[in-house]
Amino acid sequence: MRKNRNILDITRLRYIAIPIVLFLSLSCFAQSNVTYELKVGTTGENALLAEFPESYAGEKINIRIQYSEVSIQNSESLDFIFADKPQPLADRFDSIYSYTDEAQVAWTVWQSKKEIKNRNRRVMAQNAYKTFDGYVRMHTAEAQRSRGWIWWLFAGLLLVGTALYGGWIFYERRKEKSLTAVEQETLRRKRMGLRRHYGSQLYLWLLLIILYAPIALIAVFSFTKSKILGNWTGFSMDLYVNLFTGKADAGLNSAIWYTVVIALVAAVVSTILGTLAAIGIYNMRARSRKAVSLLNSVPMINPDIITGISLFLLFVALGMSQGLATVCIAHVVFCTPYVVLSVLPRLSRMNPNTYEAALDLGATPAQALRMVMLPELWPGMLSGFILALTLSVDDFGVTFFTKGSGGLETLSTFIYSDARKGGLTPELRPLFTIILLVMLIALIVINIRNTKQEEK
Amino acid sequence: MSKVLQIFSSRRTWAWPYVAFMAMFVVLPLILVGVYAFTDINGDFTIRNFAKFFTHSEAIQTFLYSVMIAVFNTAICLLIGYPAAYIMAQEDFKTPKVMAMLFILPMWINFLLRTVATVELFNMCGLPLGEGALLFGLCYDYLPFMIYPIYNTLQKMDNSLVEAAQDLGANRWQSFWKVIVPLSMPGVYSGIVMVFMPTVSTFAIAELLTHNNIKLFGSLIQDYITTTDLLNYGAVLSLVLLIIIGLTSFFGDHEERE
Repeated sequence: MRKNRNILDITRLRYIAIPIVLFLSLSCFAQSNVTYELKVGTTGENALLAEFPESYAGEKINIRIQYSEVSIQNSESLDFIFADKPQPLADRFDSIYSYTDEAQVAWTVWQSKKEIKNRNRRVMAQNAYKTFDGYVRMHTAEAQRSRGWIWWLFAGLLLVGTALYGGWIFYERRKEKSLTAVEQETLRRKRMGLRRHYGSQLYLWLLLIILYAPIALIAVFSFTKSKILGNWTGFSMDLYVNLFTGKADAGLNSAIWYTVVIALVAAVVSTILGTLAAIGIYNMRARSRKAVSLLNSVPMINPDIITGISLFLLFVALGMSQGLATVCIAHVVFCTPYVVLSVLPRLSRMNPNTYEAALDLGATPAQALRMVMLPELWPGMLSGFILALTLSVDDFGVTFFTKGSGGLETLSTFIYSDARKGGLTPELRPLFTIILLVMLIALIVINIRNTKQEEK
Repeated sequence: MSKVLQIFSSRRTWAWPYVAFMAMFVVLPLILVGVYAFTDINGDFTIRNFAKFFTHSEAIQTFLYSVMIAVFNTAICLLIGYPAAYIMAQEDFKTPKVMAMLFILPMWINFLLRTVATVELFNMCGLPLGEGALLFGLCYDYLPFMIYPIYNTLQKMDNSLVEAAQDLGANRWQSFWKVIVPLSMPGVYSGIVMVFMPTVSTFAIAELLTHNNIKLFGSLIQDYITTTDLLNYGAVLSLVLLIIIGLTSFFGDHEERE
């Protein structure tokens, strides 16, 4: 019984889900370069220029030219479109390009007689290559990113999965007919439980796969040095090396430092301010406590953009020049309420009289705070501190409006301005892969510790 | 000296620095939004900014469109998130904590980077970037905010109530609709508020997900507020947003209390 039940529960499903995820990631590897299809339309070079920012110089992509039934594909360095005098695309395809009248004739002949002369098809097609590239040059082409085969993979997996599931049910039904009534009933009950389990597990894992797909993309492509996300140019650890040796974009390096400094300052200040405030609020009379709690919840309810804009208006009205100081103040504003909320429960759990007892026994308020209250409040403060750190690192909206125009960028605003320019600094990929790994390990450690505690 | 000491030994006063700080950097700025909305560039009182808003069809259309997108996004998140939370809160579900953490973990990756990666994924699959991509991206970003509160209320729910309903003759469907759903409403409301409010005010995601083709209200506010001459008009738009936010959070509070 126990053995059967296990067949499709989470422990087993893991073995199905993990290979699927691995396979998906591997398929990204296999998908070599990004391929651009040039269709007859506007000139190919201009279309490509519109597609890529200049920071992508040196990047290799596949260019496929499609005309009627024939297509050629070449791996090309993007440099040719950034040159002062862009080389015509057709010239890049030297090996197969040479426009001749003869080829034109061959093309025409092939087109008209292809049904009859299947035998000569390959020869004719080779000749035709020469021709249609001339078309690309003479006519116009439109660049379009071709549909990767990941798409077909998804569809295929779905089909295969459905087929297997259907087959399994069919098989079970067949088997069922040869059983006695009692056995049928037990089986039916068992399967009802199983099917529910199976379906819900599948649902959750599907959600997780979708949720993690973009992140997997970042992680997988952190191991190639290509500048375009999604362009695989061979395994390489260069991006990691660049990140740690400071060879990455100078803007990225300063953004990382600013993010760390701002997060630490904001977290430390808001932890101190918030803890004191929590102690104060806890000891207030009901009415003023309610008022301060309401005040405390305002920054939490306010969306980023409102907090950002209102602070921006304040700094404008005060005539403060915006920079590091204003960003730090803004971060303290939205971090402190969370610290207050994480310290308050600890306060209500501790004995309220210990502080007074310490005072009665001759301690100064500072001593009483340090020796009596802090040891009790410590866990709440720590979780508030960590929460403040995460909020500060993650923030975009508030930072965006309070950073001023002095060139101060945190990671979020750096990514934003980068993405608006059209390209993403490649070193961001290893950076966030590392962050994800650290968080994952932390999660696993916490989980193991929790289960151990529960066992005790 | 002893008087100072006395003031500080009454712990009530320890919140004063915080209250002063909040008054300065939360209350005053919010009042300033109102002040800027009612003044012109020279600082004189005017209601022309509001008149401009009500005759500015682009602003009103963008506003309505943003609210619509936010409503759709909230509905999608609820439809996808409720079953997920329900499954995780089941008694026979073995690893609810791990699952809950797995759903929250992506939030540690910068949301803009995730958005860019989503765009790239759409490109890879050859899907067009437009309204569909926008809704997918928004749902992708805010789904954890819906799952978590619902999961919390469902998990705390007393399971004996469901058993009682079943003992009294309710079938699974009835006990779900008449017992579980009403009891999980507080979580649903806070989920709705937590998804709706950031969606209606979002401003960077829409730009990236649609290659600047679709403009949401947040982006409009950003455009005006960062243009010095139009700062006051931007304040009016922020005030409109603030009213929506206020209404939503009031709705959430009210419903939760009930």
